[in-house]
Amino acid sequence: MALFTRTTKNLILKIDEFFDNIDIGLLVFREGVKAYLDNDMESFNRHVQKVEALEKSADMLQRSIENEMITHSILPQHRAEVTSLIDVLDEIIDSIKSTLNEFSIEMPDIPSSLNHNFISIMESSVCAGEELIPAARAYFKAPYTVREKLLKVYYFESETDKISRFTQRIVFQDMKELDLAHKAHLRYIIHHIENISDTAQKAADLLSAMAIKIVM
Amino acid sequence: MILLFLTSGLFLGWSLGANDASNVFGSAVGSKMVSFRKAAIIASVFVILGAVLQGTGASDTLGKLGAVNAIGGSFTVAMAAAVTVYLMTKFAIPVSTTQAIVGAIIGWNLFTGNPTDSRTLLQIVSTWLTGPVIGAVFAVLLYMLLKAIKRNSNIHLVRFESRIRTGLILVGAFGAYSLGANNIANVMGVFVPAFNLQEINLGIFTLSSSQQLFLLGGMAIAAGILTYSNRVIEVVGSNIIELSSEAALVVVLSQALVLFIFSSSTLSSLLVSINLPPVPLVPVSSTQVIVGSVIGIGLYKGARNINFRVLGEIGIGWIATPVFSGLLAFFSLFFVKNIFSIDVGRKTVPGMAPGFQNGGAAAVDPGISGIMLYLLPGLLIAGSFGVLLYYFFERKRRNEIKKSEEKFWKYIK
Repeated sequence: MALFTRTTKNLILKIDEFFDNIDIGLLVFREGVKAYLDNDMESFNRHVQKVEALEKSADMLQRSIENEMITHSILPQHRAEVTSLIDVLDEIIDSIKSTLNEFSIEMPDIPSSLNHNFISIMESSVCAGEELIPAARAYFKAPYTVREKLLKVYYFESETDKISRFTQRIVFQDMKELDLAHKAHLRYIIHHIENISDTAQKAADLLSAMAIKIVM
Repeated sequence: MILLFLTSGLFLGWSLGANDASNVFGSAVGSKMVSFRKAAIIASVFVILGAVLQGTGASDTLGKLGAVNAIGGSFTVAMAAAVTVYLMTKFAIPVSTTQAIVGAIIGWNLFTGNPTDSRTLLQIVSTWLTGPVIGAVFAVLLYMLLKAIKRNSNIHLVRFESRIRTGLILVGAFGAYSLGANNIANVMGVFVPAFNLQEINLGIFTLSSSQQLFLLGGMAIAAGILTYSNRVIEVVGSNIIELSSEAALVVVLSQALVLFIFSSSTLSSLLVSINLPPVPLVPVSSTQVIVGSVIGIGLYKGARNINFRVLGEIGIGWIATPVFSGLLAFFSLFFVKNIFSIDVGRKTVPGMAPGFQNGGAAAVDPGISGIMLYLLPGLLIAGSFGVLLYYFFERKRRNEIKKSEEKFWKYIK
């Protein structure tokens, strides 16, 4: 029994640590994009490295959590959903890492007039992810509160879409001085940033269904 | 020879263990919360304990319905009940060993010309209705309580499930104890008036004649659990798995409580001491109490799709099982008496002790008590050996998992 209690405690700690990694990953992403837009490449590279470490740690935790749930037959009735949730949350940090790497490798040339728009898209997309984490934590402790917490995720995802469409319209319709390849590149980067809130929405849909099931 | 007569009771015990263990641990094993091996060992130990320590009350009531006073009669009655249970199970009709044995005893009463105590019969039949109803009420109350605790404690889901798992093991043990205490009467009740074994003094406690029979019956139930119940659990468990883990815990607990209430003479005397009516100590069907509890939770959750077909089948079982078992017992007694010339019992004389109704011919066999005397230490040694073996294999399994984990993480790093 003592062994089982220890396993339970370890698993709870690992799940919490996994959520912490995603949460911190979102913060680092925000600072990283700001550093890139401010042209502070030293700070940007530091943030890229930090995100890579967080993504690696999240991957290890993900495997360890799934492994422990199977080997010790923990949460047999909710295991499939919890595993799916952790997979989707891992997609968020994967998306953060790949976006920062796109910035690092492709060095997109973002016109300074669009800095504000890019920051808005990034802020809104990161906020969707940040609002998801408390909802995911609540699934384990207070599932009755999950759905109300998810409302903000849906709000920020829709905001991200709006700002993104608005920015793309500026890029393609107002900025005649940019060539098509440049415009396409900017759209590609916007889609990458937007992907964080899209994945957050995917996780929110899953969490919402999981919460109904557990509350019923 | 006397042991040969007990085989029908032991067969009935085996089938009860094979069928009814799924009511106690089916949902826990089906939902992979508890391994079958662990569940079977716990259930076996507690069924025997319940049968020996608390099996007398319900058995006495069956004795009042009809004191089968010859071992040939006991054998035939138990065999008729066992065959009924087997056939009903084969035709997928929910069957209760209680109803089968009650029908068979009435068949014996009719054959030997003994009157059936209508008051006792009414008492038993009324519990077939009240058992599932009380089960449903308990299930709803316990479910509400558990939900309220979960909601207000903000306990982590992983920790909550871990507690539920511990709860399922404890409640399963209690359920197995109650099953043994209540249903041993079905298995060995008909043999109690016909057998008069020597008391066994083990220093700390003594085993009376009926307790020795209950021990044998308990072991037969345990054998049924260990050898065959996993197949029944695979079928029944996967039906009950539709319930959440906390609902499964509640269902098993309410079933255990109902069985315990209908077999606890202490509780009954306590109620009498505070001027309340006593609880009738009668064997009740664990399957039907489980069905009642599940329906109770379903109604509480507002389920509109209650399967009335299942209820109808239970209703058919209530009538078909005792009638078929009674007829089978009556005709079997006729054959056993007239073809094999075995004494199956005779009309009792009011005011005489059951064991002496046959002119003092209740079966006295010091050999059985001798066997029991050696069987008990043997059982203890075998049990300890089994636990050690289980511990050894469990440890080996854990070490293997640990090694493979270490290898995996080493490779990943």
